[in-house]
Amino acid sequence: MSLIAPAPPRWRATSTGFAAGLRLNFLLVSLLVLTTLIALFARILAPHDPVQPVGGLNLPPGSDGFPFGTDAIGRDMLSRTLYGIQASWFSALLVVAVGLLIGGVIGVIAGVASGWVDAVLMRMTDLFLALPGVLVSIAIVAALGAGLGNTLIGVSVVWWPYYARMIRGEARSIAVRPHVEAARLAGISRGRVILRHVLPGVVPTAVVTASLDVGNVVLLLAGLSFLGLGQSAPAPELGADTARALSQLLSEWWVPVVPGIAVLILSLVANLGGDGIRALTAKRR
Amino acid sequence: MTASVRGLTVSLTRGGVTSDVIRGVNLEIAPGEIVGLVGESGSGKSVLALALLGLLPESSAPRISGAVTVAGVDMVHGNAADLRRVRSTELGAIFQDPMTSLNPTMRIGAQVTESTHSTAESIRLLSLVGIHKAAERMHAYPHELSGGLRQRVMTAIAVSGTPSLIVADEPTTALDVTVQAQVLDLLRELRLTLGCSVLIITHDLGVASQLADRIAVMYAGRIVEQGAVHEVLRKPANPYTVGLLGARLSLGMRRQGLLATLAPETASPDERMLGCAYHSRCLLATSECAIEAPPLAQVESRADGHVTACWRSPEKVSALGTSLRDRAAAELPDLAALAPAPLSKGPAVEVADLTCTFTAKGGRGRAKSIHAIQGISLRVESGEALSVVGESGSGKSTLLRIIAGLTPATSGTVFVTPGQPQMVFQDAGSSLTPWLSVGETLRERLLALRISRSEANRRVEHILESMGLPASVAGVRPSELSGGQRQRVVLARAMIIPPSILLCDEPTSALDASLAASMLNLIREMRKRLGTTVLFVTHDLAVARLMGDRIAVMNRGRLVEVGEADSVISRPKDPYTAALIAAVPEIIIDGEPGS
Repeated sequence: MSLIAPAPPRWRATSTGFAAGLRLNFLLVSLLVLTTLIALFARILAPHDPVQPVGGLNLPPGSDGFPFGTDAIGRDMLSRTLYGIQASWFSALLVVAVGLLIGGVIGVIAGVASGWVDAVLMRMTDLFLALPGVLVSIAIVAALGAGLGNTLIGVSVVWWPYYARMIRGEARSIAVRPHVEAARLAGISRGRVILRHVLPGVVPTAVVTASLDVGNVVLLLAGLSFLGLGQSAPAPELGADTARALSQLLSEWWVPVVPGIAVLILSLVANLGGDGIRALTAKRR
Repeated sequence: MTASVRGLTVSLTRGGVTSDVIRGVNLEIAPGEIVGLVGESGSGKSVLALALLGLLPESSAPRISGAVTVAGVDMVHGNAADLRRVRSTELGAIFQDPMTSLNPTMRIGAQVTESTHSTAESIRLLSLVGIHKAAERMHAYPHELSGGLRQRVMTAIAVSGTPSLIVADEPTTALDVTVQAQVLDLLRELRLTLGCSVLIITHDLGVASQLADRIAVMYAGRIVEQGAVHEVLRKPANPYTVGLLGARLSLGMRRQGLLATLAPETASPDERMLGCAYHSRCLLATSECAIEAPPLAQVESRADGHVTACWRSPEKVSALGTSLRDRAAAELPDLAALAPAPLSKGPAVEVADLTCTFTAKGGRGRAKSIHAIQGISLRVESGEALSVVGESGSGKSTLLRIIAGLTPATSGTVFVTPGQPQMVFQDAGSSLTPWLSVGETLRERLLALRISRSEANRRVEHILESMGLPASVAGVRPSELSGGQRQRVVLARAMIIPPSILLCDEPTSALDASLAASMLNLIREMRKRLGTTVLFVTHDLAVARLMGDRIAVMNRGRLVEVGEADSVISRPKDPYTAALIAAVPEIIIDGEPGS
């Protein structure tokens, strides 16, 4: 070979493929929206009270009036699952939002400041990253006492460092671009440079990473709840419902499996939707 | 024929839009001939090179009609094995950026040996392309070599199969002028020793004139003029060629007055499809030109093979040169509304014993010191324009950044007259915040003045107009502007509050010749009007001479020569300056400089 070619430019193959990709990505993102709507209107959509027994014991899915069946004390599985989705979904969004907020502030400051400020903030972040996250959350929840609020605190404490890391890197790469120097030369104040000339550049990456991360948080929260670190007993919660009904797996399988499948679908939707958001923003950049 | 292109039309799809990039091109390359292919960016010259190599990117869904034949093999319809054989035995390719074309993880010896299959042969080739101690260099990685050496390695790979044709796409554009001269010498030499043909693609008529036997000028996917190099450059018969020659800067041109520029493109792609693609920019265009595209035809009373695609007579075309300068004057925006900055006496900038040392992480964690500036003393008077010339790594940009306050000096004193100097950067695109509109960017500089929103908008409109931009530009983001427009926006940001010092860091090196000329016109006129002190950093001596009252020449962090612009160029005192001047690819025809 007496020839070295430049890397082929990465253009989209054809206009039809382009449009099809666009449709698929919008579909994926609309799944996210749909899930959020279901979670939001769970109380309206649920046909029964999720805590009170309303029908026969252990009715199989498809029974009259109970499409997902009922559990060992006759509560409607559909209503419990809907309420569970609501708790899981919004908890996950909240943890990610808190992570973005804390991690974002620390990351942007570290990325823009560099020098010793950067060093101190990032070593602190490293310290948190070095801790075994799940164990620390369990320890925090155990210390504070079981309950949704405490679980969220426990998870949030170990979750933000990832964001701080990622956003710091992104902010750093934007802060060294000539347009930030140009803004400084134009006599713009430091705070305004950060807010107007650095932060908007960080947002797309942060949003994409966060949306891909919601699925992980759904899984972690369900895991903690499975271990009994979520809301207390009668409250409908996907992880805890699966754990409590595990002994019925061979006799009345649907009682533990339905909430388990709900967790699976939530996590899947979060990941697919995140991919969709990533693809859509990548095209616009 | 070594290679022939017949009736070639190529359409590519990029970002969902399909367009004809090459439209009916005929080109023949004879054995041992060097053909220069010249044109502005976007003319399709690089796509033609890829078509010759059979390497049009699959990802852009190329649709090809016509024929491309290299050494008897059909490069359009030939099977993959044939194409591979032709590429390995008949063709060599050299691209613009040797750093991205070489594999950074492989030693260069291994990369050359991939083509030669023998270490001894690799060493022979590396010596052939002028790499000293080739056996030792075989163990180096690409990043350990200078740009010129990397381009030599690429050339060694390109000639490994004793090709009959070397395709060189802007092989010297990324290189310093002295290195460029060496690479051009190398290509000339290879033609003599190997007897191969060369297709050299370049935007620089000077480079083409130094190397090529024959020259083809491309515009909007068509060849608009072709002929022996001295014919085309001395007696151009196409208005576009005249424009390119007029907008080209040379060391010998007069310093006063405006530089010739070409009109901007105003026709839509559809309109360009129909008639002569150049008609909306052409000063000779008539209604006929907009309707029917002229065929490429032999120019009367010229040597055989000098062809041009133009309805106008060669006499009319050759008389075009002077009207280009009048056009430049008409294009110049009204600067009368710009308020001059208060003039001060004494130095605007004075640095003494300035040094600047960076610490870079070397290999294996060792810190390495880079002495960017090693003891510079320089004084720039208020209202003066000083050009700072040097090759890459000379420290010229660092000097500018220290004066701007962006980089701290390691030692020495820096005096800058009160008021923040403003700067025009080399890459206008990256010096504008991509998510802010032009209006937002410009208004930010006015924040400190605490003026009302409507007053700010009025001033934004004003400065855009002074820069020759429509007011509607305020509403769009930088990505929607062309390169030339972006650079004007950057200049507008610098000038919206006229600074006492304007720092320019290679503001035109990324622009096509004509856009560069109109940008230089603008800066010069503005300076004349406002009396702004200008420090103009450039690698191009012709630009330096035009833009500076004085020229300072830098080499490896030191100032080697400072003096009146014309005397530095005509009577350089330092051997380095003399070498720089000698390396400038001026258009030389039959041993005498062109007009």
